[in-house]
Amino acid sequence: MQAMMGEEHEENSRSGSVQATGAAMATAALLAACGGGDTPPAAMLDGRAAVSKPELLEVQGSGARRSLAAPTPDQLMDWAERQFPHLFAPSASQRVADGLVYRFYSGTGNYLGVRDGQVLLLGPATGGQLVNAGQLADFVDALVPQDRVDNDEDAARFLHHAAFGASDTDIASVRQKGYAGWLEDQLNMPMGQSKWDWLVSQGYMTLTDRQFFFFNDLCQFPVWRDLMSAPDMVRQRWALALSELFVISVPSIGGSLNWPGFAGAHFWDTLAYHGFSNFRTLLEAVTLHPAMGAFLNTRGNQKEDPASGRVPDENYAREVMQLFTIGLHDLNLDGTPRLNANGQPTDSYGQSDVTNLARVFTGYDLDFRGLGSVGNSPVPPYYSIQDPRYLQRPMQFIAERHSTLEKRFLGVHIPAGTPGPEALRIALDTLFNHPNTGPFFARQMIQRLVASHPDPDYVARVAAKFNDNGAGVRGDLKAVLRAILLDKAARGPAGLYSRTFGKLREPIMRIANWARAFKVRSLASTWKFNVGNWDTEADLQQYPLAAPSVFNFFRPGYVPPSTEMATQGATAPEFQLVSESSVSAYINYLQNIVYQGAWIGNPAEAGFPRDNLGVTYMPDIVPDYSAEFALVGNTLLLVQRLNILLAGGQLSPATQDFIVNALRIDRIRADSPDEFKRIHVARAILFVMASAEYLIQK
Amino acid sequence: MHLMQPDKHSRRAFLRRSGHLALMGAAAPLGLNLAAMGEAAAFNANDYKALVCVFLFGGNDHANTVVAYDNASHTDYARIRAAGAGTAAGSIALQRSTLEATRLRPLAPLPGGVEYALHPRMTGLAGLFNTGRAAVQLNVGPLVVPTTRQQYFSGAVPLPPKLFSHNDQQSVWQSQEAEGSSRGWGGNIGDLALGSNGNALFTCISVTGNTVFLAGRDALQYQCSTAGAVPVKATKDQFFYEPAMRSAFAEMIQQPRTHMLENEYNRVMRRSLGAESQVNGALAGVTLGTAFPSANPLAAQLRMVARLIGARNTLGMKRQVFMVSLGGFDLHDDMVGRQPGQLGQVSEAISAFYQATVELGLSDKVTTFTASDFGRTLTSNGDGTDHGWGSHHIVVGGAVRGQTFYGTPPPISTGDTGAPQDQWHIGQGRLLPSTSVDQFGATLAKWFGVSAGEMGEILPNIGNFGGNDYPIDLGFMAA
Repeated sequence: MQAMMGEEHEENSRSGSVQATGAAMATAALLAACGGGDTPPAAMLDGRAAVSKPELLEVQGSGARRSLAAPTPDQLMDWAERQFPHLFAPSASQRVADGLVYRFYSGTGNYLGVRDGQVLLLGPATGGQLVNAGQLADFVDALVPQDRVDNDEDAARFLHHAAFGASDTDIASVRQKGYAGWLEDQLNMPMGQSKWDWLVSQGYMTLTDRQFFFFNDLCQFPVWRDLMSAPDMVRQRWALALSELFVISVPSIGGSLNWPGFAGAHFWDTLAYHGFSNFRTLLEAVTLHPAMGAFLNTRGNQKEDPASGRVPDENYAREVMQLFTIGLHDLNLDGTPRLNANGQPTDSYGQSDVTNLARVFTGYDLDFRGLGSVGNSPVPPYYSIQDPRYLQRPMQFIAERHSTLEKRFLGVHIPAGTPGPEALRIALDTLFNHPNTGPFFARQMIQRLVASHPDPDYVARVAAKFNDNGAGVRGDLKAVLRAILLDKAARGPAGLYSRTFGKLREPIMRIANWARAFKVRSLASTWKFNVGNWDTEADLQQYPLAAPSVFNFFRPGYVPPSTEMATQGATAPEFQLVSESSVSAYINYLQNIVYQGAWIGNPAEAGFPRDNLGVTYMPDIVPDYSAEFALVGNTLLLVQRLNILLAGGQLSPATQDFIVNALRIDRIRADSPDEFKRIHVARAILFVMASAEYLIQK
Repeated sequence: MHLMQPDKHSRRAFLRRSGHLALMGAAAPLGLNLAAMGEAAAFNANDYKALVCVFLFGGNDHANTVVAYDNASHTDYARIRAAGAGTAAGSIALQRSTLEATRLRPLAPLPGGVEYALHPRMTGLAGLFNTGRAAVQLNVGPLVVPTTRQQYFSGAVPLPPKLFSHNDQQSVWQSQEAEGSSRGWGGNIGDLALGSNGNALFTCISVTGNTVFLAGRDALQYQCSTAGAVPVKATKDQFFYEPAMRSAFAEMIQQPRTHMLENEYNRVMRRSLGAESQVNGALAGVTLGTAFPSANPLAAQLRMVARLIGARNTLGMKRQVFMVSLGGFDLHDDMVGRQPGQLGQVSEAISAFYQATVELGLSDKVTTFTASDFGRTLTSNGDGTDHGWGSHHIVVGGAVRGQTFYGTPPPISTGDTGAPQDQWHIGQGRLLPSTSVDQFGATLAKWFGVSAGEMGEILPNIGNFGGNDYPIDLGFMAA
C-alpha cells in the first residue's frame, strides 16, 4: 500500500516539476524585476500565508532515517541547486533576514528559504505565490544520502557500487567528503596514465622475438592494473560497465589486426576518456574506432555494386541499433516496452532500416596514411609490421567507397548524394536522439552497477537525466552516472531489506574487490595478471574485453530458466555465467590466489612465458594482509572487518556468527606463527567471498 | 499464438510432482529412483536413447555448408556470390571443382537434377551421408505458421519474434520465444523423460554454457565441463586443515537463503556438490578408445557427451538430451578465410562422436543434429554474408534414414519478383523456411518416444503444421 502511494506521489511530483518549469520560463523576467534579492519579499519574511506544495521539491518524508539530525538550511539549498537547476540558478550565496535564511536566484527569479524549519519558495516557480515545500527534516532522505555517510558500511556499499570495492583509505575518504562530494572529486579527476602509454612504457611496442604485435591479451595487464589499483576508480569502473555495452572482443579481432593488444588498450582508453563526456561523443568515437571497425566490420565496408550483386555489410548497422542505442522494441521512459493495442511490444526497427542504415557505414577503413612499418618481424618469415599508431586514429572515410544511395531509416531520410560524414552525423544524431536511447542505456548501466532487475521508476529517473541533465543537455554521461549512484534506490536502505534487490557480482568484480580491499600490488610492477581459461576447474569465465561475442558475457535480458527469477520474469544477467561448473571453479580460482596472491610466470620480464621451459612462477600480484594479521586471535573483529571491506557490511549477523564459529576451529592466537596467520586470514576471506550474501551485492 | 495446453495427463502431472521432488530438494534428489515408480515410466524406456544438439553460434552460412552442386544451380550460386572488385572483396563462392570430394550422393536423386555437396572441409560428414548415417534437412527455420513471401511482407500471419537478431533467434530456435524465455523444447522432452531415469538431474546435460534449450518445466540443465564435473577443491583438500572447517564451508555455500538471488546461486552450488562425485565416479569407469581431434572445442565437448553416455548405466540413465556448441559463425567478414576451419571442426567433431557411439554399441540410439541462430544472405557484402532466416541442417546417427535430403531445395535466387523462383527468400536470398523448427523437433521427439498427443506440450506451434507440405513427421528418423 505504501509503495503504491509512493508511486502516485512521484507521478504527481514529476508533472509538478514540469509545470513549475513552464511557469518559471513564462514569468521569470517579470518577477525578477520586482525583487533583486537584497531584501526578501515581505510575504516570505512572514511565512504564515504559505500554501503547502510538498511536490514542488519532491520531498519524500518517508521517515526511514528520522533518527538522523535534520539537514542544515545550507545543505538543503546546496542540494536544491544541484537537483533543480532550472529553478535555482545560478548558484547564490546565503542571506539571513529576521530569522529567515534564504537565497535569491537571479537567473530564475526564485527565492528559496528556511524559516522555523519550514522550506519556503517564492517566485516564478510558484506563480508568485508563497509556497511551503515541506519541513527541513522531511528532506533528510533525499539529502543526507548524498551529503553524509553515517558509517563504514554505507561508505563501503557506495564504493562497491561506484568503484571496485572498499579499502580503509577510500572508506575514510567517502565518509569525509560525503557521497556526492567524493563522487564529484572522482568525476573531476583527470584520467590516469592511458593503457596505451603504460604498454609502451613496459616495452610492449618493441619488436622482439616475443612478437608482442600478435598478443591479444596484452591489454589485460593495464586493465587489471587499473581495476586493482587506479586512483581514478570511478572512471575505470564506468569504463568496465561501458565495455560490456559497447562490446569488442580482442581475441576475435586478433587475427585481422596487428597489435590487437594495443587495439584493446586504446579502445578501453576511449571508453574511459569519453565516458565522462557525452553519449553522442562516445558513440561516434566507438563507431569509428579501429577495434570496433575490425570487430563489427565497418572496416573495409563498401558501397553496393549492382554489377556483381554485392551489398553493404549490415553488421554494425544492426548491432549499433540493437545493442548500443535503441534496442529491439519501443520503450517507455521507465525502460518497459511500449505495448500496442494487442498488448504486444512494438518493434523499433525492421530489416529495411538495417539495410538502409548499413549504407551510412560504408566507406570506412583503417587509417594508415603517412604511417609505414616499424620494421620486420624478428622471427621468420620476417614480414613487415605495421606502425601501431593507426590504432590511435579513427577510421578514415573514403568517399568513393561510400554508398551515395538515399538512406531511409527510423523515419529519417538522408537524400541520395549526401556526403558520407554528413550522413554519419545524421545517423548518429538520430540514434542519439531516439526516445529509446535514454531508457535503454539507463537500465543497462543500472544493471551493471547496482541492480539486475531495477524498479522502472529508478530507470525513469536515470533516463530523465540522460534526456536532460537539468541544464538542457542530453546525453551528459556524468549526470547519468550521478543519477545511478546517488539515487535513493542505490543509497537508501530499502534494498538492504528486500529479498529481490541487487545483483550477482560479476567474476571480474570479485577479483577487483579482493584486490582493492587488500591493497594488491604487483611486486615487479609488471601487472601480468591475465585470467586465462586454461584450467577448466579454476576458471572465471570472464576476462576484460574478451566476451565471446558482441552480446557480452551475459545479456541484459537474461532470465535464468528453472529459477524463481523465471517465475517472476526477473532479469538476472550475471546468472548467465552461473552453472554447476562455474560456481565451483570460482571458488577454486579464489583458493589459488587468496593465500599468497596470484602466481605469475617470470614476473620481472615483459610478456607471457613462451613455453614451460625456463619459466619460474612466483607470487607477484600480492595482497597486504597486515591489518588482518593484527586482528588474528580476535575472530569476531576479523570477520567484521572483512564484512565491511568485501561485502559492504551486508553479511547478516547469522552468517558472521557462522563464519566466526567455523574459523575458531583453527584455534589460532595472536602469537601464532605468521604462516598460520596467513592461511587463517586466507580461509576467512574464502569463507566471506564464497558466501551468498557477499556474492549477491545489494 | 502459442498452443500450450494446461497439463491434462495425469502421467504428466505425476511427473511434475515427482520432478519437483527430484530437482528441488537439497539432499534427496540424486538417489531418487523414479523408474522404480511404475506410473512414471514415460517412454516405457527399457532401452537407451539420447538426443544431442550441436548449436553453431553466430548463424552459420548455410549456402557454403550445403552447397549447390549441379551445374545450373552452382552457376547461379557462383554468380550471386561473386561480389565484385574492391579492396576487401572477392568471390565468396566455393569453386565447383573443390566440391567433388564432398559431393552428396543421395539414394534417390532430387527432382530437376538438383545436387548438393558439403563444404570441402566436411569430408567426415559427407562420408556419413553417403554411407546412410546422415541426412540433410533443407531450409528449416522458425515459423509460427506456414508462411509465404507475400504473407511475410503483408504481415498477414504471425511471425517468429525478432527475426535476424542473434540472441533472439538462438532463443527462438531453442524455445520458440525470444530472449528471456525459460522453457526450451529439449527441456520439454526432458520433462517426459524424468521418470525413465534413475537420476532426474542428469536428464538434460549441457557441456557448453547456459542455454534455454535444456530447460523444461521441471527438467533443468545440468552443466558438466569438458573435464567432467568440477569439484570444490576446498571441500576436499588441505586448504581447510580441519575437517570440521571443511564441512562448515560446504554447509555455508549450500545454505538455502531467503534472498531470491542468493538462494538460486546456492541451489546451483548444492547441485554441483551433490552431483560431482557421482558424475566423476561414473566417468572414471568409462574407457573410450575413439580418438577425438585435439584443439577442437566442439570435439572436447562431444567427447565428454560420449563419456557420459558411456556412464549411462552407472548413472541410471535411459533417456538423455545433451547440448554442445561452437561459436564464431557470424562471418560478416573473411568468410572464405574463417568458415573452412569452423566447418572442418564441426565435421571432424561430429564424425568422431559418431564413431564413439559405434564403439559404445549405441550408434542407432544416439541422434545428433545441428542448429544455428539463422542462415545467412545469399548475396555477398564483399567478403561475407549477413543475417538470414532459414538454413540447412544435418542429422546424424544410426537411426537416421540417411543418404537423403528432406524438405524442399530452395531456388538459388535473390530476385524480388513474383516469379516462382523468387518466392522462397525475403530479400538478398534470406531463406523463407519451408520447414519449421517445430516439425524438425517433432520428428526427433517422436523417435525419442514422445507421443502425438504430447507433441503440443513439447513444441507449442506444432498444431499449426501438418499435411503434405508441412508434415509433422519429416521422415528422417526410423520408426
